[in-house]
Amino acid sequence: MDYGDNKIGVGDLLGVFWRAFLIQASWSFERMQSLGFCYAIEPVLRKLYPDQAEYEARLRLHMDYFNTQPYLASFVLGATIRLEQDRASGRNSAADIPGLKAALMSPLGALGDSFFWGSLKPFAAVVATALLITGSWWAPLLFLLIYNSWHVGLRAAVLFWGYTSGGDAVELMAQYRFTKMAKLFKVMSLSVLGGILGALPVWRPEFRPALNIPGTLMALSGLALSGLALTVVLIAILRKGGSPIKLMLGLAACCLVLAYAGVI
Amino acid sequence: MPMFDTQVLFAIAGIAVVGGLIGLDRTAVGQFMISQPIVAGPLVGWMLGDLRAGIIIGVVLELIWVVDMPVGTFVPANSTVSAVSATAIAVLGSHGVATLPVIGFSLLLTTGMAPVTMMVDTVIRKANSRLVFVASAVSAAPSGRTLARAQLFGLMMFYLKTFVLYLLFLPAGIVAVSLFNHLPEQVHRAMSLFVQLLPFLGVALIARRLSIKNIDLFLLAGFMIAAVMVRIFHTPALIIVLLTITGGWLGTRYNGLWR
Repeated sequence: MDYGDNKIGVGDLLGVFWRAFLIQASWSFERMQSLGFCYAIEPVLRKLYPDQAEYEARLRLHMDYFNTQPYLASFVLGATIRLEQDRASGRNSAADIPGLKAALMSPLGALGDSFFWGSLKPFAAVVATALLITGSWWAPLLFLLIYNSWHVGLRAAVLFWGYTSGGDAVELMAQYRFTKMAKLFKVMSLSVLGGILGALPVWRPEFRPALNIPGTLMALSGLALSGLALTVVLIAILRKGGSPIKLMLGLAACCLVLAYAGVI
Repeated sequence: MPMFDTQVLFAIAGIAVVGGLIGLDRTAVGQFMISQPIVAGPLVGWMLGDLRAGIIIGVVLELIWVVDMPVGTFVPANSTVSAVSATAIAVLGSHGVATLPVIGFSLLLTTGMAPVTMMVDTVIRKANSRLVFVASAVSAAPSGRTLARAQLFGLMMFYLKTFVLYLLFLPAGIVAVSLFNHLPEQVHRAMSLFVQLLPFLGVALIARRLSIKNIDLFLLAGFMIAAVMVRIFHTPALIIVLLTITGGWLGTRYNGLWR
């Protein structure tokens, strides 16, 4: 990590790693993460460009629109630092850094959104929710542990990967198999969700409705099957459109109707 | 008992301070997921002396909002404000341990507040573009100091947004709970049922996002595993969760999905 006079060490990259946690601190519709990106990379630019005018010019260059998945932004940061270093040392004076950022941010955004928000977070949440329902007070800590072991670990790993590879996103995807892992987390989430439906009335009495319906439906198995049926109906309604807020309000209205009809 | 005694006022101020800090995790700092309802709900419940209310609210809101993703310019409903507000309103409005109907009513109240939180989030993000310090960092000679100032100002805006929301929502919610307590018994029973049915809506929301099928094979498999193990073998919850995870993993491995 040493090219001539412009030395970027592990300490510099760790500094960027910490600053990257604030990449969305000044998030705006106009520039999205650009100021956060600049804030993260600024100490490295200061080190690479001792000339004040060039330093300001490079900083201004990075203030252009930038937006990607905030965790995988660290990969772009790593790659950008590498290219800035090559440029500053004269190894690659013509490096197209804005082009690299523009090329990386959209695919990494889609990949990160799908992996972190669309599969890892639901998985960690449903596992912890299942355990919290049964009263395990440590379930929120487990949620944080499952999620952040990936989150923080990957933030650090992709920053260094981006730096050493110079922005080879294809190699990154091959190494971490995000798509396969996302598929696995989604399937495991669905399985645990099914488990929640099957055991909910037993696990927590608060979630056991006291419906005045005679016969076997009063039995816990009947309640579980009723819960499954209700869920399938709700999924079908959701596929036809409808926001969570509207459905929650609709559900509350249905409960009021049932209460005044004497069903509960 | 007065609605707003000194203890309640201190609790509101405390929750506003802590809630503002928790809210920073949502977008501005780190995104370690401390701001998720499953963490924020029990934390606030524990702080106010009613962990059970925090757990119920955290579970319900986590299931409902976990797949609402902040993609691109889309600003999702602020589930953190919902979880913190619902828990604080339920506990402080009950002057102690919240009953299930009060928890249900608090959840309904914060559902009504969700569009307001989305609107305020949008306003803050628009305002961030016009921040004086941000503008100076962009147009004048940029430096580490101007950037740090812009970041700090952005953080303050995000913090103040939730801090002020709590100062407005919590007293209003506590007043609403005291009015709710005078409503007929049927309304109270309806709110109990509302809490009991919300997890099913949450499961439906997640299942719809994760699977393209109405009746997903893995959802059914997990249901069968849990239904049999919990009723016939009285298996502990942790074992059931591990079994359903293993079932999902095996299904992915041997069903041709791991390619």
